[in-house]
Amino acid sequence: MNKIMLACSSGMSTSLLVNKMKQAAKDEGIDAEIWAVGQTQVPEEMKKADVVLFGPQMRFLKNKFANEAKELNIPIDSIAPVVYGRCDGKAVLAMALDLIKKNGEK
Amino acid sequence: MSWFEKIEQPLMTVGEKLNNNKVLQILRDSFMLAFPLTIFGSITLIIANFPFLSNMIGEEGAAALNALLGPASTATMQIATVFLCIGIGYYFSKDQGCDPIFGGAIALAAFVLVTPMELIHTTEEGTSIVISNILDINRLGARGMFVGMIGSFLAAWLYCWATKKNWTIKMPDSVPPAVSKSFSALIPACLTLTVFLLIRIGFQFTPWGNIHDFIYEVVQAPLTHLGATLGATIVAIFAIQLLWFFGLHGQIIVNSVLDPIWNALTLENLTAFQAGQAIPNIVTKQFIEIFTVGIGGSGMTLAAVLILAFICKHKQLRQVGRLALPAGCFNVNEPVIYGLPIVLNPTIVLPWIVAPIINVCIVYFAMASGLVPLTTGVTVPWTTPIFISGMLATNSLMGGVIQLVELAVVFVCWLPFLKSMDRQMQKDFPEEAEAVAA
Repeated sequence: MNKIMLACSSGMSTSLLVNKMKQAAKDEGIDAEIWAVGQTQVPEEMKKADVVLFGPQMRFLKNKFANEAKELNIPIDSIAPVVYGRCDGKAVLAMALDLIKKNGEK
Repeated sequence: MSWFEKIEQPLMTVGEKLNNNKVLQILRDSFMLAFPLTIFGSITLIIANFPFLSNMIGEEGAAALNALLGPASTATMQIATVFLCIGIGYYFSKDQGCDPIFGGAIALAAFVLVTPMELIHTTEEGTSIVISNILDINRLGARGMFVGMIGSFLAAWLYCWATKKNWTIKMPDSVPPAVSKSFSALIPACLTLTVFLLIRIGFQFTPWGNIHDFIYEVVQAPLTHLGATLGATIVAIFAIQLLWFFGLHGQIIVNSVLDPIWNALTLENLTAFQAGQAIPNIVTKQFIEIFTVGIGGSGMTLAAVLILAFICKHKQLRQVGRLALPAGCFNVNEPVIYGLPIVLNPTIVLPWIVAPIINVCIVYFAMASGLVPLTTGVTVPWTTPIFISGMLATNSLMGGVIQLVELAVVFVCWLPFLKSMDRQMQKDFPEEAEAVAA
């Protein structure tokens, strides 16, 4: 089970992407739990995640949560603006899985 | 380093500093604490003040309904500063690793401790009498907001500082945790509240008589007056648009600085609205949320999305428009900001920055001239669709109408730029355009 968490200011625009990613996961037969949260819930919620991705408009959160992520040993990154604008669930899913995989190889 | 990085880096630093600043972050979370409560209060207030209500159920019926529903908004929105104090005490202590619920309770006690507990009431004959043993609701809301904020941070800081000094009474392991917990907060609580008691006593020897009036006159009133000006609002809108142009969440970043001022202004309006007095402020939190963000998201992009979806001919632009439209109706516009994209797109930077500024001026003067009623202070979620949100926020049809005017202004500003973009794309990528025509 791949646990993918997205975060932005209030979890609104990332939740748009969550639905597309869930669809992409279903199409590709990938077992994944995907959810979106607002920035205030990140410290609590990230404990449950295998990877955390931030909306590009809140990309400075990556610096803020870098230490926590390191302690929890989960990869974090911000989503590329173009992919985010297209709501490209497939691309973001691939990005998330890639980050989980790379983290596992370390 | 490219020109983009040269400008992006400092903006990114500012955005990061403001968004991640601990004090501002705690304030933001504390304001959110009362959000569900204020929604409840707002619903009852909107029902009780429904336009034309007195025509339907008569003046007396309307007054009776008002009296029945009034307490709901008093208990939620009017005492907003109480929730703010609890929130600040709680989140500050949590951040410092101290027991948060005690932090919240101590911050509230500290706030009440510096609040006047008597009221001077002028009778009909003109003599004034002092009613003691009373807390003025106004001081627990709009008027006390800044003293509540400042006091709660001070109280929480003192409490955590004393706790970390380990001046606590240690209990043996056999004592139940809840009991030892209440003892561990004893010394920090006494110390913090002693400081506030001294503040209360000290201020009795000043011309103000209490810290409430002092903070209101020296800090809150000047700041809110400044924040309520058109100039300050235009600067804020410009900053929001500029930050978004670089792909950063301008609204959240600017909110973290201006929310205390905008919320205080909102609460002043609400207090006046509920008391049936003239509403004082044009610029409020709702002015920003409903009449700028509420026109399709920050940058008021709903009109741009409509142009993309229905007027542009190029397939790619149409796709962006159609993808962004459903979310845009609820004022979420990241799909168009990153999809068109608006970010770093020199073709549309002019309407992107100019249209919201024109609109803010239009709404400001429409409200100043009395054409559109001022925002009543009721909380309307920013995701409420255009027209409905404007009506709810002003308790008037005109609030919705002015939003449609704003939509039209954005439409006119954006149309030439998007059309030229459309033509350019048809020239550069003609095959895709034919696919739509076929």
